[in-house]
Amino acid sequence: MSFRSGVATFAGKSSYWFLHTFLHGGSSLPGKITLKLDPNILRTLGAKYDVIVITGTNGKTLTTALTVSVLREKYPDILTNPTGSNMEQGIVTTFLNAKNPKTGRPLAVLEVDEANVIKVTQYIEPKAFVFTNIFRDQMDRYGEIYTTYQKILDGVALAPNATIIANGDSPIFHSKELPNPIQYYGFDNQPDGDFKAKPNTDGVLCPNCEHILHYHSLTYSNQGKYFCPNCGFSRPELTYRLTKLGEQTPTSSKFDIDGHPFKIQVGGTYNIYNALAAYAVGRFMGVTPEQVSDAFNANQQVFGRQEVINVDGKRVTIILVKNPVGLDQVLHMIGTDTHPFSLVGLLNANYADGIDTSWIWDGDFEQLADRDIPTVITGGERYKDITFRLKVAGIPDDRHIVEPNLEKVVDEIKKVSTDRVYVLATYTAMLQMRKILADKGYVKEGLGL
Amino acid sequence: MSYELNVAHLYGDLMNTYGDVGNILALNYYAKQMDVTLNVKVVSLEESFHAADYDLAFFGGGQDFEQTIVSQDIQTKKAELIKFIESGGPLLAICGGFQLLGHYYIGADGEKLPGIGALDHYTLAQDHNRFIGDIVIKNQETGETYHGFENHQGLTYLGKGERPLGNVISGKGNNGEDGTEGAIYKNVYCSYFHGPILTRNGDIAKHLLVAALKRKYPDADFSQQEALPIPATF
Repeated sequence: MSFRSGVATFAGKSSYWFLHTFLHGGSSLPGKITLKLDPNILRTLGAKYDVIVITGTNGKTLTTALTVSVLREKYPDILTNPTGSNMEQGIVTTFLNAKNPKTGRPLAVLEVDEANVIKVTQYIEPKAFVFTNIFRDQMDRYGEIYTTYQKILDGVALAPNATIIANGDSPIFHSKELPNPIQYYGFDNQPDGDFKAKPNTDGVLCPNCEHILHYHSLTYSNQGKYFCPNCGFSRPELTYRLTKLGEQTPTSSKFDIDGHPFKIQVGGTYNIYNALAAYAVGRFMGVTPEQVSDAFNANQQVFGRQEVINVDGKRVTIILVKNPVGLDQVLHMIGTDTHPFSLVGLLNANYADGIDTSWIWDGDFEQLADRDIPTVITGGERYKDITFRLKVAGIPDDRHIVEPNLEKVVDEIKKVSTDRVYVLATYTAMLQMRKILADKGYVKEGLGL
Repeated sequence: MSYELNVAHLYGDLMNTYGDVGNILALNYYAKQMDVTLNVKVVSLEESFHAADYDLAFFGGGQDFEQTIVSQDIQTKKAELIKFIESGGPLLAICGGFQLLGHYYIGADGEKLPGIGALDHYTLAQDHNRFIGDIVIKNQETGETYHGFENHQGLTYLGKGERPLGNVISGKGNNGEDGTEGAIYKNVYCSYFHGPILTRNGDIAKHLLVAALKRKYPDADFSQQEALPIPATF
């Protein structure tokens, strides 16, 4: 370590200690201080590690958590970044906080924001990249899916020897020739048919000849066993295959990968993709399927995003929704509940939520119309938008409570006829809701993510 | 009696950003209240559009890449689309759809891409800037106020024969200079509004549906449909 890096590291570490001890915070500021003193600090900090970078629009956090638990089955020393610290400063802080490794060469499994991949690869050549998916996010931030993918590839270009482990069901990950070794994972559990994605799906043009892609089977959005009837472009050979999809509930999923049965304590097809990615990384790193299964069984707490809160006997599940594909998947997931439930939709449009609420129209709320949901509550700062969305989706007025005030939403939740309540909330609405539930003593303070 | 309208969702699988599909959902919502059934069909690449087959059309906005592809393909539908528009066919065009009905637009890489010239506007591009934010406009003829969210790089300049959909009260509008937003030509309504536009501005949905009904059923009385109250949703 150079003198400069040494000083920078010391300054960052002591600021973390100060912030952590006295201010109960400090996830990116130490990184910021260290970067100021030594912009090349990641080179020094990261040199000791084999790094795996996980990036994509949705599923980064859970894939990272699952990958860490899978790899812990074989590797004792694994460094990872806490949720949300996926930009340059947060990553530097993660390395700063690391204890000195006990044995040999430790692993670092990092969730990295799409545009920040290059900030990592400028200094560190990762051993592997994981690409989860690219969907429309908040477009006022990164623009289009092609631009987002290009940002990732700009970073990958600096690490041509790293193995890419990519979601093979996503056509965009097969659209560019890359020098890197590539392994694909995907769903291979359906007989071949011939389908098209539903009309408001993003990214359905063949990257080769610009015709509309067809699918032998579709999972959701534009993902599946795609093929182009015009030029023959098709899904690449999969290295890791989901071979069977078993029972799905909002809190569990059963499936087979490469013929091995697995169960995870979380619902949603999107989470099966996350598990499939973690399995792929595990296998790539020499973890056995049995060890992967042990990791999936042992680490219930990584699924914390779907924490159930007891509100005077109601089982209230708060789920973060932030983009159309995620929303669609959450709606599908709660639709797998065999028990009756009530639904709450809380919409804000602050910067962290996305300032344009249009995306709620891309979520297929219509799929809930047949469920006969006894009570639907809509609220939040943009309650008018979410209220009309659900009206158009066919929720009858006599079952629909409109309540902008979140305190009162909690009162309404206590009155619903069902034991189960799903609260779908945008980021700041979720924070506000949690604060209220914490003030009332239903949850401990903090995010719980 | 109940009525039926055939709706063409132009390039619905490619031009579909920012929840634009909500316009179809909102059309359906108001159509039901008017005793009208909508048959919506996506008309996309290499599929033909026959003016006579449709009573109403919707053309949404898309991402840059998709819009480039559509700009080529739409030339094959140009004659029939112009026929539809000139014969009073009601059409709603948003963002990229709005641009492609005009003469040309400047794409993301600065290249000039053709529209179909059915309407007399053209679109330039801002340098590294987008108009992003809430927007409110007022239509001077009807006195109606419309609410939306704009997010566009294009700067559109209206030509002769086009009236704006409204005058900007707050926000940027077509080009940030002349205070216009969107365009109206015959029964064609154009706008940069997302939101989507019809979900926050049910009056426009009503205008489109009533125009389509009157055109398809010239002898029927639609005074009841025209009187449908549109409660504020925004």
